[in-house]
Amino acid sequence: MTASVTLDRIGHSFGSFRALQSIELEIAAGEYVTLLGPSGCGKTTLLSILGGFLTPDQGRVLIGGRDVTALPAARRPTATTFQDYALFPHMSLRDNVGFGLRMAGVPRRERHARAEEKLDMVGLKHAAAARPHELSGGQRQRVALARALAVEPDVLLLDEPLGALDLKLRRAMQDELKSIQRRVGTTFVHVTHDQEEAMAIADRIVVMNAGRIEDAGPPARIYRHPASLFAAEFMGETNRFAGEGRGDGIATPFGVIDRQPPAHGPLTLCLRPEALRPGAGSLRIGPSRVLDAAFFGTHCRAHVRPDAAPDLTLVAHLPPTDLPEPGQMLDLAAVTDDLAAFPAE
Amino acid sequence: MPWAYALALFGFIYLPVATLVLFSFQNGSLPVPPFNGPSLRWYGDVLGDDRLVEALLNSLMVALGSSAIAVALGFSAAYALARHVLPASALWRALLIAPLTVSYLIVGLGLLIVVQRLGLGLSLWTAGIGHVVINLPIAFAIIYASMGAQQQNAERAARDLGADEARVVLLVTVPMLAPAILAAFFLSVTLSWDEFIIAFLLTRFDVTLPVEIWSMLRSGLSPRLNAIGSLVFLVSVSAVLLLELTVFRKRRR
Repeated sequence: MTASVTLDRIGHSFGSFRALQSIELEIAAGEYVTLLGPSGCGKTTLLSILGGFLTPDQGRVLIGGRDVTALPAARRPTATTFQDYALFPHMSLRDNVGFGLRMAGVPRRERHARAEEKLDMVGLKHAAAARPHELSGGQRQRVALARALAVEPDVLLLDEPLGALDLKLRRAMQDELKSIQRRVGTTFVHVTHDQEEAMAIADRIVVMNAGRIEDAGPPARIYRHPASLFAAEFMGETNRFAGEGRGDGIATPFGVIDRQPPAHGPLTLCLRPEALRPGAGSLRIGPSRVLDAAFFGTHCRAHVRPDAAPDLTLVAHLPPTDLPEPGQMLDLAAVTDDLAAFPAE
Repeated sequence: MPWAYALALFGFIYLPVATLVLFSFQNGSLPVPPFNGPSLRWYGDVLGDDRLVEALLNSLMVALGSSAIAVALGFSAAYALARHVLPASALWRALLIAPLTVSYLIVGLGLLIVVQRLGLGLSLWTAGIGHVVINLPIAFAIIYASMGAQQQNAERAARDLGADEARVVLLVTVPMLAPAILAAFFLSVTLSWDEFIIAFLLTRFDVTLPVEIWSMLRSGLSPRLNAIGSLVFLVSVSAVLLLELTVFRKRRR
């Protein structure tokens, strides 16, 4: 089961703190969306409003075209998995997963069969009689997922589902979440503060900051062509420097790029570290002194100071084949396709 | 040296009890050395005494009944204060805990005045009400202290899965808080079981065991009293052991 979600001018305050301001968002049926942002950006508040745990001060929530703003959590076609899993410690896994069906009045035998089917989906059928405290963190997360999916919700809401897991397990669970979502076809809305997780898993990322949506789109688009300076910096490391919008293009400390500037006047430019490389490129950075460098496996990360702009320190991801020495001079160039430019504030 | 301290400490605590139990087996009419026995004649005497057995059953009834009510009320108050934003909730909390600081004598006298003003007769019911008054704050404090975010999220999850409020409380909150609820109940039972002043002031014809023992004390020492004392002690110890076996073992797991 699946349904679309529409957030129509949602606003919410806690006392004098404006947690959300005029959020507009359309989520298609069967889409995997992550809400990405730093702590306090309003992403969890928005998820609570979607789940029916919080009634917004303003705006409407529509699920499958139906206005559910006033419906409590129990009567919404949504199910939530909580950050601490919120499993029932006094019940077996079978009873945990079957809880929603029990509330819906499904007879015991059918309930158990359906609960075991869902446990099977997450690879825990053999542990149906176990209690949650016997499981590892990753297994508990799976039970929470099975429990939420057992009620066949139209929309599944995941609050930092992988937040408590270690890095390796986290990457494995990302793949699993994604493949389960493909199989069941339910709309997933996933809250996280980890941009790598968001990129790995989402069809579409919604970047939030200070109660607003900064940018929304497919991961590659947001990473390469972010709509705001905040989105550019939150999606990964970037080199930030000043430029200027002029009639003939974007002026940088390293020369003019022939591209329509977003505005005339002072600009803030963002260049990803991997856009810098030795040799040729669309913008010549010129001779640069290496300050320090470290080997990262897939690349060497180096701080460099270009002669053309000696007050700038740039981060560059250089090929991993040779680690530069501090003090060494490199002749660098930049690929400017993904250079992002914003009017300076 | 530490062993000597420990020995002195436990001797201080347990020697009177041990002496009491020992002389309940006295084969003679005075609970003083030398010890003759052992003999079960005083136990037979006590259990053959209808008044005593009746008082013992009264005590048990009052203890179980008043504790059940105190725990039910304490749980409801704790749930309301922990889960809902209420105006002046700190004041409510203080008011619920405050009776702990009032002496049993004052509670008993206060209730006595109220009961007589209302023209109600003194009975086991009035003593039971007195015990609810003294045990409610304890039950509230124990249960409130163990309500945390963990249950709150589980409650949210249950609601999310379609449970109404009654089923959230019965199927999630109460089972998750079972250790605290049982601890509050057993503690309340032992306190009520031993309680004398309130029971003395608020009962008349049907009395609880401590009141009956007190009236027997006036006719002097006898191994009968030792035998009753040992039985009372046995019940208290059983309650504590039961608590240990059911509640704390579960918690350690």
